[in-house]
Amino acid sequence: MKTHIELTEKAIVLPMEPVDDLEVGAQVDFQGIVRGTEKGDPIQGLNYQAHEPMAHLELAKILDDLAGLHPCDAVWIIHRLGYIPVGEIALFVRVRSKHRKAALRLTDELIDRLKRDVPIWKLS
Amino acid sequence: MQIEVLAFAHLREQLGFSARMVECSEDQTPRDILGMIAPNILLDKSIRVAVNREYGDWDKPVGRAFEIAIIPPVSGG
Repeated sequence: MKTHIELTEKAIVLPMEPVDDLEVGAQVDFQGIVRGTEKGDPIQGLNYQAHEPMAHLELAKILDDLAGLHPCDAVWIIHRLGYIPVGEIALFVRVRSKHRKAALRLTDELIDRLKRDVPIWKLS
Repeated sequence: MQIEVLAFAHLREQLGFSARMVECSEDQTPRDILGMIAPNILLDKSIRVAVNREYGDWDKPVGRAFEIAIIPPVSGG
């Protein structure tokens, strides 16, 4: 499985890579966006902090595990760090696979595990 | 030996540092090391430790590790 893991302080630019594998029949894109409220209070944005080297390693480990469970062709994970204004993308995930179910399941489990184990913090 | 202790999120304010070099020995555990620099910190079960960038055990000796990171509940995404 081809993987791209990126942590960046810049605004996320969606990858434009064309589908280069003719067996790919599904692409799932997920965007996590900073909401205008946090615990009921209005906010202008959020700060994200990470243990960056460990976050990379944890994401790679998670993808390694999930590749065995839900075989997919390619995965992109881009997580923005630092200050992110409301309405902008904090997390982008793209998964390509032969059929939709593997891509949908991998996306769902990847985000669950990211929120449980990857050392990234949202600070209000 | 020396080990780097990293803190994140609200623990940075509580501990007063984000990164700090600490003198320790190979048979000390992360709990021992944190206890030396922050004896009053309350380590509830939600706070994990990572040794050399992998989740580890608060009570296992650090050996020749170069880093321990104190990991409060994560909230990325």
